[in-house]
Amino acid sequence: MSLEIRRVSKSFGQHRVLDGLDLEVQPGEPLCLLGRNGAGKTTLLRILAGLLRPEAGSIWLDDQQIDYAESHARHDIGLVMHQPFLYEHLTGVENLRFYARLYQVPDENVAIERAMAQVGMQRFGGKPVRAYSRGMKQRLTIARALLHSPSILILDEPYTGLDLQGSQAFNQLMLEQKQQGRIILMTTHDISHALPISSRFAFLARGRIAEELSNRNLSLEYLESWLTEKLAKSNSGQQRVTA
Amino acid sequence: MKDWFHSVRTLVWKDLLQEWRSKDMLTAMFAFAILTLFIFNYAIELSPVNRAEIASGIIWVVIVFAGTLGLNRSFTAEQDQGCFDALVMAVPDVSAIYFGKMLTNWLVMLFVSLLILPIYSLLYNQSLFYAGFILVLVLGAWCYSAAGTLIAGMTVQTRMRDLLLPILLFPILMPVNMAVVKAAGGILAGAPLLDVQVWFVLLAAYGIIVTTVSILVFEYVIRE
Repeated sequence: MSLEIRRVSKSFGQHRVLDGLDLEVQPGEPLCLLGRNGAGKTTLLRILAGLLRPEAGSIWLDDQQIDYAESHARHDIGLVMHQPFLYEHLTGVENLRFYARLYQVPDENVAIERAMAQVGMQRFGGKPVRAYSRGMKQRLTIARALLHSPSILILDEPYTGLDLQGSQAFNQLMLEQKQQGRIILMTTHDISHALPISSRFAFLARGRIAEELSNRNLSLEYLESWLTEKLAKSNSGQQRVTA
Repeated sequence: MKDWFHSVRTLVWKDLLQEWRSKDMLTAMFAFAILTLFIFNYAIELSPVNRAEIASGIIWVVIVFAGTLGLNRSFTAEQDQGCFDALVMAVPDVSAIYFGKMLTNWLVMLFVSLLILPIYSLLYNQSLFYAGFILVLVLGAWCYSAAGTLIAGMTVQTRMRDLLLPILLFPILMPVNMAVVKAAGGILAGAPLLDVQVWFVLLAAYGIIVTTVSILVFEYVIRE
């Protein structure tokens, strides 16, 4: 089962964000999407989640085009975005219970307990979300995304707000998901965190995947210098376009 | 269909629980309703002759204005935390979000109406607890919630949502306002049921049509 993005384009007004982008993500091979701010990473993730419609192109899963009008296509995606998707006046457990019921998760109590344990939030499940710190909200957001055991995980800046311990726990969780053969696509600006779990890095520039790098025992130094070079190129290209 | 109703039930449970905890909508609606009732109490002198005629208008104006505050809030919680995206992904059909919100708005409006009726009775020394009158309010609140939830879903994504909602909603509600005031006024004046029957039919038809159309178009309304 692989996720394939074929010639996807998207514009906002006159600004073309994605321009015939092609990309393939294999199960158990997490892909980390990199690029400067405004490169179109979040737009691509929102298209993959079915929250935005592309002007052209299509998304395929296992040689079958995904029809986002079908609920099971949307249900099979776990999504972490900039916003937490949590209700401030409900407790952590109540938030998860709400989503578990919408996704019709079997044995919701067991699933909620497991999800809270996976992100180290068992002790705080009874507290209202408005009393949580940013990091705690992010942990709960990750628990929410994993609650219904989706095949595809779309993670936009998942390390936001997480402390070192939280980031390590998240990576451990992603390694488990990787072993279970989930399709994982994430964006981050912090490659040091993403390095241990990502199998590939793809650099997005001018609406397309400009270059890919396979993670075969890459060192952080090499990855950083590669990314710095790509960002410099991308920025100069952007300045030329603007000029 | 079973999944659809399950989602609606879950959404209503979440909305009511959240409202019970925050009391955002209830407090604003109730405070506004009470203040408006007091203003009417000073502004309009009711005589035994015009009492029945005017009472229905006063009560409905108070409920409609208070209801607009509630409608404005009903989608804001989803929008503020980005939860709308999560809901769209989780429900089997996006129309379940509309129906769940519509039911919540309806229940909250009825609850506020239930609170203000005895206060009105105290201020104006006039009982409003007639089965027919309550039925008119139930039907009117349904029609209001059905149209209001759809418009609130449209305007929540705009910067001027607070202004746009009443501007777009009130013209659509003209038949409802007329039917509620006429039916309720007739009942309070002791008119025979046959005389006001047409207004009940109008309200029921309006509610069914607007709810059905909203369920069908809601997905297109909220997309991009």
